[in-house]
Amino acid sequence: MANTETLNRRAPASPLKQFAQRLEVRMLLLALLIAVCLSFLSPFFLTKSNIFNLLDQSVVIGIVAVGMTFVILTGGIDLSVGSVAGLTGIILGLSLQHVPIVPAIGIAVVAGGFIGLISGTLITVFGLAPFVVTLGVMAIGRSLAYIFSGQTAISNIPEAMQNIVYTDVLGIPSNVLFLIALYAAAWGYLTYTKGGRTIYAVGSNKEAARAAGLNTTFYSILPYVLSGAFAAVAITFSISQLLSADPLMGNQMELDAIAAVVIGGASLYGGRGSMIGTLIGVFIMVMIRNGLNLMGVSPFWQGTAIGTIIILALLVERLVSSRISR
Amino acid sequence: MQPNTAPLAETGHTTLLTARDITKTFDRTRALQGANFELREGEVHGLLGANGAGKSTLSKVISGHYTLDSGELTYRGHEIRLRSTRDALRIGIAIVMQETSLVPDLTVLENIFLPELGRPGRLDYSELRRRGQEILNDLGQGDSLPFDWEVRRLSSAQKQLVEIAKALGVRAKLLIFDEPTASLSPGEAERLFDIMARLRSSGHGLVFVSHRLEEVFAITDRVTVMREGRTVMNAHPTATLSQAELIRAMVGAELGAIYERGESHHVAETDAPVALEVRNLASAPAVRDVSFSVRKGEILGIGGLVGAGRSETVEAIFGLRPRTGGEVTLGGKKLRADSPQTAIRAGLGFVAEDRRTQNIVPDLSVKENLLLAHLGAHRGFFCSYASREKKVKELLAKLGMPEDRVADASMLNFSGGMQQKIIIARWLLLEPDVLILDEPTKGVDIGTRASIYAMLRDIAAEGVALVVVSSDFEELLGLSDRVVVISDGRTIADLPSAMLDEESLTLLAAPRTSMVRNTEMLNGLAREHGGSGFWALIEGERLICLNAVVSNPALDPGFRAGQARELGATQIPEALRRREPIFVPEADRSRTTLVVPMTSPRGHDLGWVGLSLPADRPLPAPDTIKSRIDTMAATL
Ligand SMILES: Nc1ncnc2c1ncn2[C@@H]1O[C@H](COP(=O)(O)OP(=O)(O)OP(=O)(O)O)[C@@H](O)[C@H]1O
Ligand SMILES: [Mg+2]
Repeated sequence: MANTETLNRRAPASPLKQFAQRLEVRMLLLALLIAVCLSFLSPFFLTKSNIFNLLDQSVVIGIVAVGMTFVILTGGIDLSVGSVAGLTGIILGLSLQHVPIVPAIGIAVVAGGFIGLISGTLITVFGLAPFVVTLGVMAIGRSLAYIFSGQTAISNIPEAMQNIVYTDVLGIPSNVLFLIALYAAAWGYLTYTKGGRTIYAVGSNKEAARAAGLNTTFYSILPYVLSGAFAAVAITFSISQLLSADPLMGNQMELDAIAAVVIGGASLYGGRGSMIGTLIGVFIMVMIRNGLNLMGVSPFWQGTAIGTIIILALLVERLVSSRISR
Repeated sequence: MQPNTAPLAETGHTTLLTARDITKTFDRTRALQGANFELREGEVHGLLGANGAGKSTLSKVISGHYTLDSGELTYRGHEIRLRSTRDALRIGIAIVMQETSLVPDLTVLENIFLPELGRPGRLDYSELRRRGQEILNDLGQGDSLPFDWEVRRLSSAQKQLVEIAKALGVRAKLLIFDEPTASLSPGEAERLFDIMARLRSSGHGLVFVSHRLEEVFAITDRVTVMREGRTVMNAHPTATLSQAELIRAMVGAELGAIYERGESHHVAETDAPVALEVRNLASAPAVRDVSFSVRKGEILGIGGLVGAGRSETVEAIFGLRPRTGGEVTLGGKKLRADSPQTAIRAGLGFVAEDRRTQNIVPDLSVKENLLLAHLGAHRGFFCSYASREKKVKELLAKLGMPEDRVADASMLNFSGGMQQKIIIARWLLLEPDVLILDEPTKGVDIGTRASIYAMLRDIAAEGVALVVVSSDFEELLGLSDRVVVISDGRTIADLPSAMLDEESLTLLAAPRTSMVRNTEMLNGLAREHGGSGFWALIEGERLICLNAVVSNPALDPGFRAGQARELGATQIPEALRRREPIFVPEADRSRTTLVVPMTSPRGHDLGWVGLSLPADRPLPAPDTIKSRIDTMAATL
């Protein structure tokens, strides 16, 4: 049978261009640029101790950003991560008064996952808007954190908790190692497993995914469960460092996490984004904060600076990418 | 030339628009590379070409959606530069696109005059209503649009009418119709042609894009054919063209008869096992009572009008839509309705109607799109794409797609025809027992269509049962072994396609209202005279019954609605053969029957209406009955 269509052969782009067309690559360049600028502005920036400091600061936000990436890939958003972190932190602090460390962490993580399960179910099964549901959960979570804690910090955390963070393996602190392992696992999951591909498909075209037999309900809820659970994991690392659980913990964490994911190239409409991008986004966020601190910028101005840099970065990216893809 | 003031010359025609050497490049795709086009006032100009030839791109350049890279547009003698659709509308160029640009939550009237809603000052609704009515009257569609309805409630044909009215509301002179008939049923398409003919006679210039050649021959005055972004046939009068010439220009090669059944195809054996059986299926509100079955190796067509509930039926079978009654059996086992996954694992495949919203996952690569149903059917933690590697290669070779294009990041850069082939291949990969395809060639060019038909026939020959839903009756008849007609959510006929032609199919699929009127009339006649009445199509020795009403069981004509019979196999062969304007008694003297032709006011043949009465009673005058039938026919 005659085949009438000649697929238009397009000149393949040069390897360099192909490389530059990857958003992660451009964001990595941006991260390096920021690092270079900051090292000029502050001689202390590139010292070994500050680099370890940067990695250390990346852990908490980095863990939260993993769950957030999953949620955003499905086209959703989770505004509740900060207050879920606060609430599960308090739950962890209270549990530690009664049970050993490992079960206490288990309780906190399960609680975080359970909150995510509720949000995810409301969003997926009842069709409520993710923004509104997680906004509600954000308010509830913070309020419960205050109630459960009796409005004060819980400070009698067992010192053994610090081992979670400060044990070195091959010279790398265990929390940084955990972050690396988590990103590798999440990347593998999203790239090579049925569930991971389904999460992309759900965000890209849910109806088509369902018609092809994918379990769209399960994989629309799962990211919220993970997001809640990872919020609890992240706050566990914070508490281990500070040996104190405060109901205010995790405040505004959702902003940093969402910003990191978006800087990393994910689309808020879903279907587009990657773990590598998110990791770069996390580093950019942390570097900017660290740099501003080193330069002694007042905390009140830091918000303005960070917000401006994020918006500028995305604006430049948009202009550059439309230029490159020509 | 002074086109604005010059009256229409007697011999010639005023040129409305010329496009010269237009080029347009997207990313690295050269969509247009030297397109030429010329449109006159008072003509319908067909714009043809295979998928991806650049028809839509040219249309969008002319209507200001895209700015051109190079080339020249002249409108009424002046060179124009369009920066937006607004620029184009202001000078009178409008486009009616497939994806409508209407606001679903506003009313029909507000949508028609949308461009005026933005103006400062108060709106005079009664004035708008008057003008709206005027526009519709000019189109001969005085009462077919409820002005106060929200647009979301309209059928796609009505939405299109709103688009046309909207264009006329800003006094557009040049209207582009990009595949306007793709989602219309034949009756609705005919009405659109009627509207187009009126616009032509009032001096508008119309561009008509379509893949259906019979439409092109029916409505256009001249045609322009594009291939790979270039004009290969410029403004050729349609009347002097043959179909073969046209296809050759579009495809660049000869194309055999597209519905030809290859050697390999034997008409499905009637004793093959039943693959899929649907009994009294209901899915509120669109599907009320649908029953049919398909055998292995058989191609079953499902026909009907747009909105008859065909898509809803197949979606309910596949588990995309909750069922409210009835049952589905697949390969002898009951199929639950809970999710597509269940259906897929049981051996069912489904190519949904809308490519963009129901099939394509734009952010996944072509390869992953191809493997999407595999992923859905697969049990396990990992993707196991490698397990299908061999079959993928085979399929790609069959599709004529170079293997390196499979790695493309997005399917959206492919033409509609190629996209459709990939979606079909997605299901073939699973080797299903039954494959359902909803409008498999919507918006697909003639060459690709031929290769899709060949592909479908091949898999049927391998023993797969196919169910094809289509609004294109020619396709339905050419492709399927048997046709089931659905109207208003019910199966009303199940006939071998060899018995049908497009006309009889159109009548069978007629909207319910005309059937209701016909039933009322038959009921009236049958009751008053104590007999039985029917409405049927008769061709040669065969009859297809459209409707039958039996008030006296002794006078059963021997066929029911939706059935086909040899005349000799009915109870009234004599009357059916003679079809004279008198009551004809049967040989056994048990009854006597009047069979009269029914014709629409526009002169279309609507088949025959018959009335059987007991032979032993005084008969009514044939003329009074004939006039009642004519009165009823006038309302159809
Ligand atoms: N917005 C776009 N971005 C990138 N490529 C595009 C875009 N629009 C069209 N193309 C490409 O330009 C070419 C011409 O497309 P166009 O839609 O004009 O074809 P067409 O003749 O209308 O085809 P069809 O019969 O399928 O509607 C195709 O190769 C298409 O993939
Ligand atoms: Mg097109």
